Amino acid sequence: MKNEWLQIVLIILAPVIGGLIAGFERIIRARMQRRIGPPLLQPFYDFLKLADKRKMMVHSTHVFLGLMHFLALWFALAVLILGGDLILVIFLHLLSSALLILAGYSTRSIFSHLGANRMAISILAYEPVLILMAVTIYMINGSFDVSVIFSSGESLILKMPLAFIALLMILPVKLKKSPFDVAEAHQEITGGAEIEFSGIFYEAVYTAKWLDNVFCYTLVYLFGAGNPLLGAGLVVGVFLYVNALDNSSARVNYRQMLRFTIGVALPVAFINLLLSILHIL
Amino acid sequence: MKLNKYRKKSPWILHYNAGGCNGCDIEILACLAPKYDIERFGIINTGNPKQSDILLVTGPVTKRSRERLVEIYNQMPEPKVVISCGACASTGGVFRGMYNCEGGIDQYIPVDVCMRLRYQTPNKSLTGLYRHSPSWLKNQKKWNHP
Amino acid sequence: MYPFIIALFAGPVIVSGLLFILPKSISRILIITAAVVFSSISVYLITRTDQSLQIAVPAFMHQAVVIADLALLLFFGWIAYRRKNLLVGIMTILQLAGTIWLMNQPAESAGFVFNIDKLCLFMFLLINVISGIIAVYSIRYMEEEPCSGLRKKYFMSVIFWFIAVMNLVVASDNLEFFFLFFELTTLASFLLIGFRRDEISVKNSLTALWMNQAGGIAILAAIIFLRYNNAGEASFTHLLQIAAQPGFMLPVALLAVAALVKGAQMPFSKWLLGAMVAPTPVSALLHSSTMVKIAPFVILRLSPALQGTAVSTVIIAFTGFVFAAAAFSALSQDVFKRILAYSTVALLALMIMMAAAGTPVTMAAALILMLFHGLSKCLLFLNAGIMEREFHLKQSTDMDRLAERGPVTSFIITFGFLSLLLPPFGAFIGKWFSIESMGGFAQTSKIAGALVIAAIAMGGAMLSLLYFKVIGVLIARNGNDDRAKPEHIHPIYRFTNYILLVLIVAGMGGLSYLVTEFLAPVIAATLQQPVTAFTSHGSLHIGNMSMPLLPLAIAFFLLPVVLYAAMFIRFKKVDRVKEYMCGEKVNYSFSSYYFSVEKITPWFTVAGILFFITLLAVVIL
Repeated sequence: MKNEWLQIVLIILAPVIGGLIAGFERIIRARMQRRIGPPLLQPFYDFLKLADKRKMMVHSTHVFLGLMHFLALWFALAVLILGGDLILVIFLHLLSSALLILAGYSTRSIFSHLGANRMAISILAYEPVLILMAVTIYMINGSFDVSVIFSSGESLILKMPLAFIALLMILPVKLKKSPFDVAEAHQEITGGAEIEFSGIFYEAVYTAKWLDNVFCYTLVYLFGAGNPLLGAGLVVGVFLYVNALDNSSARVNYRQMLRFTIGVALPVAFINLLLSILHIL
Repeated sequence: MKLNKYRKKSPWILHYNAGGCNGCDIEILACLAPKYDIERFGIINTGNPKQSDILLVTGPVTKRSRERLVEIYNQMPEPKVVISCGACASTGGVFRGMYNCEGGIDQYIPVDVCMRLRYQTPNKSLTGLYRHSPSWLKNQKKWNHP
Repeated sequence: MYPFIIALFAGPVIVSGLLFILPKSISRILIITAAVVFSSISVYLITRTDQSLQIAVPAFMHQAVVIADLALLLFFGWIAYRRKNLLVGIMTILQLAGTIWLMNQPAESAGFVFNIDKLCLFMFLLINVISGIIAVYSIRYMEEEPCSGLRKKYFMSVIFWFIAVMNLVVASDNLEFFFLFFELTTLASFLLIGFRRDEISVKNSLTALWMNQAGGIAILAAIIFLRYNNAGEASFTHLLQIAAQPGFMLPVALLAVAALVKGAQMPFSKWLLGAMVAPTPVSALLHSSTMVKIAPFVILRLSPALQGTAVSTVIIAFTGFVFAAAAFSALSQDVFKRILAYSTVALLALMIMMAAAGTPVTMAAALILMLFHGLSKCLLFLNAGIMEREFHLKQSTDMDRLAERGPVTSFIITFGFLSLLLPPFGAFIGKWFSIESMGGFAQTSKIAGALVIAAIAMGGAMLSLLYFKVIGVLIARNGNDDRAKPEHIHPIYRFTNYILLVLIVAGMGGLSYLVTEFLAPVIAATLQQPVTAFTSHGSLHIGNMSMPLLPLAIAFFLLPVVLYAAMFIRFKKVDRVKEYMCGEKVNYSFSSYYFSVEKITPWFTVAGILFFITLLAVVIL
C-alpha cells in the first residue's frame, strides 16, 4: 500500500522533480564550463515568468496540440511509474511525441517544419532500440510489465549490459542533447517544433521537457531496480555522462545521427537480445 | 500571487544586429562566457522573439533591416524591454546621416534602456542587462490589445 | 441460414447483371440497397451462427468447375496472344497442362465444397461491409471518370461480381473450387486494373495477371500433389487432417506460397504497386477488403497445420523481412497512393506473420489487424480519390495548403494515418500483440525470432516516419485561416467517410467486446481448440496475454478526441501573431523529407526470391 502511495506522489510531483533535474542540470553544465550557473530553482522562475506573459498564438490547433503533448507525456510517464506494459509505454511516449510533431507541422513556419521533420527522424533513431530493450527485458523476466522488473529484485544491468550501453547511446537523442540535438538545435533552427509557442503555451512544452527528464531517468533506473542504491547510482552516473557529453561534443547532422544509432546502437541492443535468448547472459 | 517579480529573475534576451560592425556583438557574447556568466542571473540568449523578454539591438538601423526589426519587435509578447546597445543603435553614432542608415532604433520602436557609449564592454552590457532592464520589465504594467 | 449464404453468393452476381441493364437512376438505388443488404446479412450471420455449415453441391457442378477453368484459361491464353505477353502465355500453358491432367483423373467422392465456419463469416463481414462502402463511393467517383456510360456500368458490375467471387473464395473448402475462384479474383483484378485502357494500365494489369497466375499454379500444384499421392479429397479440411503425416507438408507450403503471392509479398509486390493506375475505388477494393486479404485468410486457414513447423518459421522470417523492406522502400515515394500501397505490403506482411505464428494471441492480432487495417486503408484510399477529384492532388508534395482549402479532408487523412500507428487504435493493438507474441516466438526459434523482432521494430519506426512525411505537408495552415469553413464535398463522399470513421472509432471503443464475443470464437473454430478470452480487473485476457484497458481508454481521449478538438477548437481572447521567419514576410511552400533508397531496393527482390526458394526447400528436404 505504501508503495502505491509513493507511486502516486511520484506521478503528481513528476513535473516538479523534472524541474529540479533541469535546474540541477543547468548548474552542473555551468560548473563543467567553470561558470557559476543559475540558481537551482531557475526553471521554476522561468515557469512563473512565462505564466505572466501576454498570451499570443499562431493558431488554436497549434497551441492546443502543444498542451496535449504535455498531458500525453505525463500520462505515458504515469503508466511507466505505475508499472504498466513497457511496449505500451513506449508507444504512449510515441503518441506524445506525435502530438508535438503534429503541432510543429500545423503552422506554416519553416523552422517549425524543419524541427518536426527532424523529430520524426529522431523517432526512427531511438524507437527500435527501446523496443529491442523491452523485448530483452521480456526474455529475462518473462513479462513486459515494469512492475515485474521492480518485484523481481534483481538488477537488469548485470543481465543486459549491452542494452544499457545502447540506451546510453540513444539517450542524447531522446533528451535532445548534443551531439544528437538536431531536433531542437537552438542555434540553428531556434528550437525546432517548439519555436512558435510563446508565453503560457510555451510553458506546456517547456515543462514537457522536464517530464522527459523524469521519463528517461526512470528508464535508466529500471536497470538497477533490484537495488535502490545501484539504481540511484546509475541515474546519477548517466546524468553526469549526458551532461558531460552535451558540453563536450558538437552537433552532428541527422544523417550522421541515424548512421550511428542504427549502425551502432541498434546492433549492440540486438546482440544483447540474442545473448539473452541463447541464455548466455 | 504577484508574478511580476519573477520577470526580473529570468529575462531572456533576443539579440538583433541591425547592421552594426559586430563590435558590440562580441562584447555581449562575451557576457555569456565563463568570466561574466550572465546565466547566473537566469539570462538566456534565446534567439526566438516569441519566447524572449529583452530585445537587444546593436548597430545603426540600416534601411534593409528596418522592417525586420519592427516585425521581430511585434512578435515579442509583452512585457518586453528594448535595449539599444552602443552609440550606433541609440543615435546612429558614426553612421548618422549616411544614405543607407536610419540613425537609431528609437525612430521605429520604443526604447527603454539606452546604452549610449562609443563602444561596448561586457561590464557595461551587464549593467544594462542586469541592473536596468529587469526593473523596467518588472514595472511594465499594461499593454494594449490590438 | 442457407438462404442468407446463397444470397451472399448469388446476390452480387444478380446485382452485377442488373447493373448492366438498368438505367442510371435506378442502378444508384440498387447499388445502395445491395450494399446495405449484403452488409446486414454478413453482420446477421456472424452474430447468429454458432456452428459451421457445410454445403454440398450436385455432382455436375464439379464438371462445370472444370469447364469454367478451361474457359478462363483459354481467355487468359487469348489475352497473352493479343497482348503478345510471353509470361502470361507461359503461366497459362502451365495451368492448362495441370488442369487437363486433373480432368483425366477419376472424380473424387464429392463431399461438401463450401465450409462456412466462423473464419469465413468474419471474412464475409470484412468483404461485404467494406466493399459495400466502396461500391457506394464509386457511384460518385465514376460519374466524373472520363469514359463512356457503358464502361461506367461495366465498372460497377465488375465490382459487384468481384464481391461475389470474394465471398465464394473464402467459403470454398474444396481446393478445385478454391482454385477456380482464386483465378476469378485474378481475372477481376486484371479487368479492373486495366480499366483505363492506356498503355501503363495495360502493362500493369498484365503484370498483375501473370503474378497472380503464378499463385494459381502453386494451388494447382498442391491439388496435383494430393491427387497423385491418392491422398483423398483435395480440400482444406482434409488437408489439415493429413498435414501432420510426413510428406504432406508440401501442399500446405504450396498453398502458403499462393497466399504470399496474392498478398503481394516482396518479389511479387510489383503487381499491387502497379494496381495504383486504376481508378481509386479499385485500389481501395484491392487493398482494404478483397484480394490481398486472401493472403492472411489462407494462412489463417492453414495455421493449425503450420504451427510450429519449419515452414511457419520461414514464413515468419520472410514476412518480418518484407515488413521492414517495404517500409524502407516506401520512404522514397512521393505519390500518395504509392505510399499507401507500400504500407499495405508492409502491414500485410505483419498480418501473414501473425497468422503463421498460429497461437491464439497472434491470431487475434492477425484478425484485429485485418479488420482495422481494412477500415483505415479504405478510409485513406477513399480520401485519396476525393483529393484527386475535388482538389486535383496526387503527389504528396503538392498537398501543401490542403488544410486551408479542405480542413475536413486533411483531418480525416491525418486521422487515418494515425489510426494505423498509434494507441489506442486497432492497428496499433495488432502491432503491440505482434511484438509481444514474437517475444514468445523468439524463445523457441532463437536467432530467427530475434531478427524478426528487430525487423518489426525497425519497420514500425520507418512506417511512422513515412506517415509523418505525408501528414507533415497536409496539415500546415496559416493563422489567418482559423475561421476557415469546412469544405463542401459531395454527400456520397461525406457519407462514406463518416461511416468509416464511425466504424473505426466504434471498433476501437468496443475492442474488448469485439475480441471476446466475435474474434475469440473465430480463433477457437479455426484452431479447433478452446480459446480463453475474457475481461477482468480492467484488462483483457487472450491466451497468455493480458491487455490493460484503462490506459487505452485514456489514450482514446488523448488521440481521436484531441485530434478532432485540435482541428476545430478556437481559443478566444488570445492575441494572434505571425510565424517567426527571421522578420521576413515571405510565403513559403512546404514539402517533406525524401530518402533515396534506390541503391538497396533491387536487393530486396533478390532476397524475396531466395526466401521463396528456401520456403519450398525446407519442405522438400
